[in-house]
Amino acid sequence: MLSERLQLKMYLEPSEHFELEALIPVFHRFIRDQVIKELMIDVVDYSHVPDGPGVVLIGHAADYYVGALDGRPGLVYSRKRAAPAPEARLEDALRRLVNFGRLLEQDSSVKLRFRSNELSLRLTDRLHAVNDDASFAASKAEVEQIFGRVYGGSVAVERLLEPKGPLALAIKTSATPSLEALLEKLGGPPAT
Amino acid sequence: MTVANTWKQKLTSHMREDWAREIDIYETQIELRKKGKIEEKLFAETRLRRGTYGQRYDNGQRHDGEKTQTLAYPAGELTKGPVTMWDAPGMQRIKIPFGKLSALQLDTLAELAEEYSDQILHVTTRQDIQLHFIHIEDTPDIMRRLAAVGITTREACGNSVRNVTACPYAGVCNTESFDVTPYANAITFFLLGHPDAQDFGRKFKIAFSGCKDEPCGLTNFHDAGAIAKTRVIDGQLKRGFEYYVGGGLGAVPYPATLFDEFLPEEELLPITQAVCRVFARLGERDNRARARIKFLVKKLGIDEFKRLVLEERSKLRTDERWVSFLKDLHVTDEKPLKPPSALGPGPYPAGFEAWQKTNVQPQSQKGYSTAKVTLPLGDFTPGQARALSEIARKFTGDSLRTTVEQNLLYRWVADGDLPAFYQELAQVGLGAAGADRITDVTSCPGTDTCKLGISSSRGLATELRKQLSVIADTLDPAAQDLHIKCSGCSNSCGQHHVADMGFLGVSRNMNGRRVPHFQLVIGGQYKHNGGSYGLAIGAIPSKHVPKAVKTLTDRFVSEKQAGETFQAFVQRIGKKEIRKLVDELSVIPSYEQDPSYYSDWGDPREYTIGDLGVGECAGEVVPLVQVGLAGSEREVFEAQLLLEEGNSQGAAARAFSAMVQAAQALTREKNSFLGEGTDEIVSEFRKHYYDTKVFFDPFSGGKFAHYFFRAYEHQTEAGASKESAHQLIEEAQLFVEAAHQCYTRIAGALP
Repeated sequence: MLSERLQLKMYLEPSEHFELEALIPVFHRFIRDQVIKELMIDVVDYSHVPDGPGVVLIGHAADYYVGALDGRPGLVYSRKRAAPAPEARLEDALRRLVNFGRLLEQDSSVKLRFRSNELSLRLTDRLHAVNDDASFAASKAEVEQIFGRVYGGSVAVERLLEPKGPLALAIKTSATPSLEALLEKLGGPPAT
Repeated sequence: MTVANTWKQKLTSHMREDWAREIDIYETQIELRKKGKIEEKLFAETRLRRGTYGQRYDNGQRHDGEKTQTLAYPAGELTKGPVTMWDAPGMQRIKIPFGKLSALQLDTLAELAEEYSDQILHVTTRQDIQLHFIHIEDTPDIMRRLAAVGITTREACGNSVRNVTACPYAGVCNTESFDVTPYANAITFFLLGHPDAQDFGRKFKIAFSGCKDEPCGLTNFHDAGAIAKTRVIDGQLKRGFEYYVGGGLGAVPYPATLFDEFLPEEELLPITQAVCRVFARLGERDNRARARIKFLVKKLGIDEFKRLVLEERSKLRTDERWVSFLKDLHVTDEKPLKPPSALGPGPYPAGFEAWQKTNVQPQSQKGYSTAKVTLPLGDFTPGQARALSEIARKFTGDSLRTTVEQNLLYRWVADGDLPAFYQELAQVGLGAAGADRITDVTSCPGTDTCKLGISSSRGLATELRKQLSVIADTLDPAAQDLHIKCSGCSNSCGQHHVADMGFLGVSRNMNGRRVPHFQLVIGGQYKHNGGSYGLAIGAIPSKHVPKAVKTLTDRFVSEKQAGETFQAFVQRIGKKEIRKLVDELSVIPSYEQDPSYYSDWGDPREYTIGDLGVGECAGEVVPLVQVGLAGSEREVFEAQLLLEEGNSQGAAARAFSAMVQAAQALTREKNSFLGEGTDEIVSEFRKHYYDTKVFFDPFSGGKFAHYFFRAYEHQTEAGASKESAHQLIEEAQLFVEAAHQCYTRIAGALP
């Protein structure tokens, strides 16, 4: 993936109902206890913004959002900088997203449930990932290859047409592994 | 075909050559700083002049509610300014002159928020857009992408001419003398990078208004304010400006002083240039706290200041730009996309009528209206920004404006299109009614992102919006029209001085812990360009502020006389009455009973760590200090009452007495033999707290102590004016506040 900046999103189960504000103390605790082994800096509450980023855990290299930026509630891993080599970026993002989702599923104060088989990917780097057919084809191939290997089964990738938005892909897998199982396949929680 | 690998390669030919060069130089300075070849202070000034700010926690420390943790940024010890870590996220301020944005510019801002920031565009109280959590190394590309659509961030911060603001209704307003847009445009680009505006001791803010009575321009608290005015001279209608100087909010608010009742339009640029030259030459440089032009105007007096400006004006070499813009004042005109039309008979979409009532105003051009987009706390997403730009293209043409109430304004909506226009806003979650009403609370960033924030102004604003929205429809119309503004500290970016109910973040020690509070500032005037400032009544624990708002609102509704404004109501019932409410709300449960009082809104971390010290010595000394500080607060309040009664001299004396009492309370901790004499108190305070810098605020240094020393030097002067007494009360309030903070620090309770 040429784009260093990307946002990988995993959706909440449709039946999930929760108050966004409940995540604020959880994210503060994640910073305090260094639950995520990345440099995490602050928590921002955008719950007042309709279809906004929600509650955000700000990090140095990446942010985590629980919100509804594309109109559907879910968890976003947003890589900003210091990404690994291009060929490792997508899998690394998936690993961090799954790890974070698993932590939220396990957290007794929020008990969120995610759908592991439905994701979206936005390449938020208009210089290196132009929103055109060629970039989509290249990204699609990479997504199919990585998700196919990690999930097993079939992987369907479609282009999300968001006028003037970044290149965006919808990903659906036939397999529905638990986040725990997925994380194990991805090598466990990231060490840094 | 060569594929561009960098934004520089891609965009350099798409922007003004001088802007491209400036950004290249800035990028080089970043590289030099990384190699240690530029000193950090110099680099800080460089980036600030390009609008690239620091943000909270950029010193590499963060208090997690239990202890201070080090944020181990990868760049290690490299800094981008004193005590400002290189890798720490920062804020990019983007100047939007007079708030005017094209659809293309909005699209670009959306891209930048999406790629570099936290998915939020934030409208400020001075019509700028801010992006938060930006990395310094991304800023040159951000600037290039902005420059390619005609936006520069140059002089968005630093000691320079900041964003020139103007009434967002300019050109379509029913009460304006004429459209101020071309004048604001001319002065923006005349002063941008002008040699006479590069050497100030502090920033310089300019605002334009089309009329005198409305609040949209808020010229009264600007360094220079211009209100459109016409006059018949020799039988011809001439344009000019009622021109003011020396206004400002900040820690001590000053109302602007009239410089010229009618400054002819051709003199607007040269006189402002001369003002800049006088400010650069004579303004304070060493003491930042006294460096705004308001202090210079006060020190010199308006007559002398004006004499100096006119003298400077007479020496200026003629510049053809002074008048060239007058040849085409239509350069900033907007052409409506649709022909005028009338609103149809309905039925209308759900919610339309409520939205129309509060967010739509007829323009001076028949068949058109302006429509406001209520942005909660000034925030919107990239997706919403793109939708808004498409709505502009579809309904109004290519421009909209940011407002100082942190909203967006569409102009030239054909009346017949209003329902469809509303429906499209509602589809992206932006169809809320209530713009500029009680629920539309204005707030600065506060502790969310600002390094100077003391309390969570955005957290409070969010909570007030939430609670008031539930009852908004049932509120009396008079209450719905009230304005609430919140600032996280005394720098007043939330403009709380000109609200009906303003809130200013402070902190207090209670029950051995630190508790977030807000000073209630009441009775400010929003209309008349922010015509007068409210005064602080007292500090309320943060968690009691919503209750205070409700109680005051209810009381206003039930007791107001016919046609009475909130300001007049406050005046009539008196501040003593309101103080009673503050006193009732000042009591909070112990930490053990309810720890939520010891956290701020929207932030569950404990606001206080550490004890105040339970040793015997502290047990004796601390209460004495507290008693003294409480007494000084009372005296500040009494000074306000005296001022209200018209006793300016008494008010000034009481305000000074409050300062003395606060200083005495603190100093007795160092010198238990301290007497009652003012000279001794001042001398001992200086020795123990000023010379040692113990009293110094981490950000403001000795500013608040200077207020005290100056008041001491002038205490024997007779004939305090209402204005000077008001200022002294403000300074006393801040000095007492600083004494509270100092006490908290020395007692070991501050993180």
